Amino acid sequence: MYFIRGFLCLISFMLFFINLANAGPFSDFKASAILSEELASSPTQKRDTPNSESLKQAINLLDPEKSEIWPELSRLFLGELAKVNFESEIRVIMQDHVEEPHEVPLIVKLPDHLHNFKEFILLIENNPIQQVIKLIPYRAIESIGMNVRLEDDSPVRAAVKDKDGLWHIGSKMVFVSSPGGCSSPSCDVTTEICDPGEIGKLILKNYDREAGAGRLKIKIIHPMDTGLVSSPAGEIIPEYFINSIFLDDIDGPIAVMETYAALSTDPVILIDLAEKGQSIRAKAKDSHGLEFFSFKNSSIM
Amino acid sequence: MVFVEVSPGIFINFGKNEAPNKANGWAISNTGFIIGDESVLVIDAGPSYQYASEMIEYIKKVTNSQINYLVITHHHPDHSFGISKFLEIDTKVIISNSELKNYLKYGNKLLLQMKKKVGDDWFENTSINEFNNNKQKFPFSIDLGSRKIDINLYTDGHSGGDLTVTDKNSHIVFGGDLVFNERAPTIPHANILNWLRYLDEISNFNWSGLVPGHGPIIKKKNKLDFTKKWIQHIHYIARDAVKKGLSPAEVLELGVPEFLSSTKLAKETWNRDVPVLMKHYENDN
Repeated sequence: MYFIRGFLCLISFMLFFINLANAGPFSDFKASAILSEELASSPTQKRDTPNSESLKQAINLLDPEKSEIWPELSRLFLGELAKVNFESEIRVIMQDHVEEPHEVPLIVKLPDHLHNFKEFILLIENNPIQQVIKLIPYRAIESIGMNVRLEDDSPVRAAVKDKDGLWHIGSKMVFVSSPGGCSSPSCDVTTEICDPGEIGKLILKNYDREAGAGRLKIKIIHPMDTGLVSSPAGEIIPEYFINSIFLDDIDGPIAVMETYAALSTDPVILIDLAEKGQSIRAKAKDSHGLEFFSFKNSSIM
Repeated sequence: MVFVEVSPGIFINFGKNEAPNKANGWAISNTGFIIGDESVLVIDAGPSYQYASEMIEYIKKVTNSQINYLVITHHHPDHSFGISKFLEIDTKVIISNSELKNYLKYGNKLLLQMKKKVGDDWFENTSINEFNNNKQKFPFSIDLGSRKIDINLYTDGHSGGDLTVTDKNSHIVFGGDLVFNERAPTIPHANILNWLRYLDEISNFNWSGLVPGHGPIIKKKNKLDFTKKWIQHIHYIARDAVKKGLSPAEVLELGVPEFLSSTKLAKETWNRDVPVLMKHYENDN
């Protein structure tokens, strides 16, 4: 039993590292560091409250045909020849107007016909770190939630690949009243008080939903440094983030995730399963190679 | 800045009952002062050095008594960031220990965010200054000269340590942000169960007028009901959502409950405070 599970884990982690090796173009944040300096010196004019004008703008900005960024984004993250279908049935639930851009909660709810998807990617078009997460499931998943950083106003795209390789995209336009979720410090810049928690502490919870369905929630205490924030001395704080999460239970693997610093400090991930998991375990790894576990005896995972 | 004399020797500048923006320069809360024969006591310093300077100029026009005391009801920037100006003129600053700590700990971060949101110009010369509150014990009384003032501390209610100011002559009470009127109450540092208890206590005092931190002066006790209803309900919603493992996004999707939605700034306040409270309750678990 352990042997089989260990074998599956090995395969999933091999897959994961192959993915990492492909991550070249979007794990290079140097260009974005320059962007953050510009943002710091000349803050953009912001809207304060939603009005009909900003709503009209939102609809325009969501239109992938009018987005200058989408074609490139699609090519980079979904593949050169990706077939893409925009669908309102994929609901990206988050606020229209956000005040605190360092931590924006969202949840993506999938329609029935996509519960057995093959791959899930969340993209934030106008972020210096555009990809938030890539998730590969091993069983049916109904919704996925998380907390993210938003640098500025942006369309948020949830991309779901079905068994035939077709990408289904759900979109949501979000406005940010004070930009800088990726490039400004989320702690006191002069005293450096960030209230750091116990790095790597992993909290896993399993909730009941209706009719035997379950929701699991993982929270990991971690700074998720973007590499775009300067210290008070003017030096860039290097990127440091959780880059993989693996979940299983007594029936085997549940999902493997590749994660990026566009997730907020102390990231939270929610996953709705059609059937509640039993004895769920989580394992996470960060960009320094440290591993964190939701359980004590880590040798068997 | 328009100060209204609500009772002989008691002046209030009612803040704009709106969200902070480029036009109001964060001057959204009420500030006031009480004049005695010898001393003036100021309640809250406003959001900036500039605001405090204008306030001091105004006070000097209406009285020759010295501006000896400044009470900071709590550390939130709309109430406290004028402190730097009052320290310059050697006013004694009265603030609870916990709120002095929070002012020093979060001040610079907040100031940066505020500049970004409404513009640097509003905050010229505004700084976060260390000062000594002499570890003041509460409650205590001050004599301003033929005028006695009581200062009370409410620990872990709306903030870590809210102060209220009672003028014994007129029976007017300054409630700080323990009391809101015609506006959604904000709860970023609140312990709601204590706060509810304090609201009951305050409503049972024999005051002639209750000055809220935000909104018009209160004459009737039932005006406190809305604040109670709001904080009770947001507490219940957030705690229940944490228990069920909901995402704040799912809670906010349902909108502000209808019976709370008609007040000013309801949506903004709800959307900001529900996630904050949920996080708070998650950490408690």
